[in-house]
Amino acid sequence: MLRLGLRPHLRSEPKIRRCRPLLGTFVEITASGNAWHRLGLNPALDLPSRCSAFHEAVDAAFAAMKKIQNMMSAHDPASELSLLNREAAHRIVTVSRETYEVLRRADRMAVESKGAFDYTVAPTLARWGLLPATLQCENAGNWRDVLLLRRRQVRFLRPLTLDLGGIAKGFAVDQAIEVLREHGVASAMVNAGGDLRVFGAQSSRIHLRHPSQPQQFAHRIELAQAALATSSPCFTEKNLHGQRVSHLVDSIRQTAVTGVISVSVRAQECWLADALTKVVLNAPQLAQKMLAKYGAEAFVLTA
Amino acid sequence: MSDWIHRIIAPSAIIISAGAIPCYATTYLTVGQAQKICFTNATQFIAADVTLTSEQRKAITKDSGVRVRLDTQKVWRVQNGDKFIGWFIQDEVLGKHEYIQWVLALNADGSVRQIEILDYRETYGYQVRDEKWRAQFYGKQHGAKLKLDDDIKNISGATLSSRHIADGVKRLLSFYELVLKK
Repeated sequence: MLRLGLRPHLRSEPKIRRCRPLLGTFVEITASGNAWHRLGLNPALDLPSRCSAFHEAVDAAFAAMKKIQNMMSAHDPASELSLLNREAAHRIVTVSRETYEVLRRADRMAVESKGAFDYTVAPTLARWGLLPATLQCENAGNWRDVLLLRRRQVRFLRPLTLDLGGIAKGFAVDQAIEVLREHGVASAMVNAGGDLRVFGAQSSRIHLRHPSQPQQFAHRIELAQAALATSSPCFTEKNLHGQRVSHLVDSIRQTAVTGVISVSVRAQECWLADALTKVVLNAPQLAQKMLAKYGAEAFVLTA
Repeated sequence: MSDWIHRIIAPSAIIISAGAIPCYATTYLTVGQAQKICFTNATQFIAADVTLTSEQRKAITKDSGVRVRLDTQKVWRVQNGDKFIGWFIQDEVLGKHEYIQWVLALNADGSVRQIEILDYRETYGYQVRDEKWRAQFYGKQHGAKLKLDDDIKNISGATLSSRHIADGVKRLLSFYELVLKK
């Protein structure tokens, strides 16, 4: 009889979608599900009240992403990353738990990919006008010169500048998913301009945009309890003094990744999917090994 | 091993729909919902729309470095009982590829309280600037488009820049300084 009493609520389960400008793009969060019991709500509450609990959860998820942006933006002089870029070549700098976590993962990806994923390409991007000019650096070191010490301490062995753009957005998506879960949301999707992750019982249908004709969808993927990240030079590619440049650096050849190509990676977590797209672009052979190791999968779209 | 990478060549062969999908739109929040989310403690939203004079538009453009496109700005004064607690401003930006309705919530002292996207309509290609071309989608808002909405909502592939919103914030903060505050 109790079950019967709950029926109306099962029919009208709350679902909300919100969007805010964050991390330089539009972040969309969809939260749904009938998780009133986990939200600690009275099942007799009406739909608007339960929706408002969902809005609180989504607000908290946005706040977690904003926190990551404030700590790890290479554009923001007040970020922890900017502090590292200014000072870690001269002294030991202690960073937050989150920044240290991202640095450790970035380092792991750089080591395993032998530099195909490289988070020390900021000087090159700055030279191309895609990051602030202050990040330019003469005779810059590389990822091998980043020391991650105990107690969240960081030191650069040579002058260099970091850009976590290839991994921090994915990490922010993971953090948001974690917050939504903690708030008792039953299923959710966080989409940060193509770096996205879903959790919950149902699978979601994701459309991959075609790299040369963004108004067309080239492929469809069903995603459940997983993340998908896409990297493509098509939307940032430009001419610079007769040279083609983009926001993606081929770290092995020190040139820009250009042309009609788009790489999407499906992985368990979004930071991993995000980082692996760069490995697939820069070192396809090695990428196969890494994809296998992490149970990930790549979708490469070309003209 | 090569199974791990699917190389999808000649995508025109596998495009799902018959033609391109020229437009998709998402409504996130109504104005009323956004008001409640931005000001949970509000008791009243008093409409206070502002029609800008051409001098005001020029002054805002000069101050913010962002062109003022519309001459009417939808504004609400937000009250908690007798206490004035902030401003709620509705705006739209037309980016390179996208057409966005959004709101800026300001605290009583004029600081940014919250930004929410209300509605996001994305169009691509040279047709974007063509009013007639765009108009064909307006009529579909209640019928066909809704179906599209449900089907095509999760897109991966292009990182759309939110720079236009950042410009919009600059413009509205100048609007606050030069018009609302007075």
